[in-house]
Amino acid sequence: MIAIDIVSDGLFAAVAAMGFGAISDPPLRAFPYIALLAALGHAARYCLMTFLGLDIATASLIAAFIIGTGSVWCGKKVFCPMTVLYIPALLPMVPGTYAYKTVFSLIMFLQDIDSPTRGSEYLQSMIFNGAVSFSVIFMLAIGATVPVFLLREKANSMTRGSKFI
Amino acid sequence: MTNDRIVEIADFIARYLSFMLGAGVHTSRVVRNSKRIGEALGVGVSIYTSQKTATLTVSVPGSSQRDTRVVDIPAYPISFEWNADLSALSWAAFDKKMSLEEIRGRFDEIVSKPKMNPVFVLLMVGLANASFCRLFGGDIWAMLITFTATLIGFFTRQHLTKKKVNHYIVFVISAFVASLCASTALSLGIETAEIALATSVLYLVPGVPLINGVIDITDGHIQIGISRLVNALMLIVCIAIGMSATLMLVKDSLL
Repeated sequence: MIAIDIVSDGLFAAVAAMGFGAISDPPLRAFPYIALLAALGHAARYCLMTFLGLDIATASLIAAFIIGTGSVWCGKKVFCPMTVLYIPALLPMVPGTYAYKTVFSLIMFLQDIDSPTRGSEYLQSMIFNGAVSFSVIFMLAIGATVPVFLLREKANSMTRGSKFI
Repeated sequence: MTNDRIVEIADFIARYLSFMLGAGVHTSRVVRNSKRIGEALGVGVSIYTSQKTATLTVSVPGSSQRDTRVVDIPAYPISFEWNADLSALSWAAFDKKMSLEEIRGRFDEIVSKPKMNPVFVLLMVGLANASFCRLFGGDIWAMLITFTATLIGFFTRQHLTKKKVNHYIVFVISAFVASLCASTALSLGIETAEIALATSVLYLVPGVPLINGVIDITDGHIQIGISRLVNALMLIVCIAIGMSATLMLVKDSLL
């Protein structure tokens, strides 16, 4: 049962990454690798959060690091810069609900500004949602960029000798 | 090197970098690629970038010849294909010592390639948001409703963008339309209706500028990184406004 959960998590994350990536017009040859990286990363984050009880920011950092490292290997195969592969693969992990709930809490706080108890509850929820969304986005980008820092030369010559132009 | 030649090179590099920056490539890659093309053509290139314009100086090493200009950055839709192929072009120019005319010809070929079919993108986005609904714990009915709501919402967005409506207004309206369609889940009495409603607008979240912004900040291009983040933040506020209109209509509370 656990295995099915993990696999279906990866599968749906792969579809989500391909679909959200398609908005930004990636080259067709990159799609299989985007799907693979997104599935690996999202399933890894699911495992870390469910079984090891890690918080969402740390789990995102590790998952993004896995995606970033994978994109070094995949990028060389399809002659795509790492960002072309890892940004779409990270998209399913971008904390969209937290981000707009931050704005909702702000609106609700302004609605209930006269009631000190409810007002401060909404203010608290605004800080909570804002902090989570900011740190997760930061961790996602940092985690995926660390391999670039480690492998400067290799990471910056992914498209060298491309057959696709 | 004649002055006309330098002007020609500067013209091309200005075009190259405005296309790359306009298509949402992170700054350090654009700078690196432009410098590489400059090196292939025997000139030095220095670039200052901001959100809507870039300043470019092309200089000949060991002489006082130089050409400086300010380039407007047009707002193209984000294109990873341009990102990949224009980066490859810079390496090809560097490795094969291509002439300016050859590079320019290839560049025109790359940027005039047809984009992905909008109907295909529409279907993919619908599927993506439906599987997102599943990841948040929605059942099959919630997934179906999210799929339909996303199709309608994204179609609205494509259509309004084609009509050149201001993009903040596009985001408010498409968030409103998508969440209004998804709110039918509430009246149909589906168990996970809340999840369908919450995920129906997620296709709008500007994930690429958010990640690009942080990448720019870590690369030291802090100003442009922050402006990308602020831009994305404005879009998120627009999504929240559109969605809160629906929520106020159907359940009188936002959270």
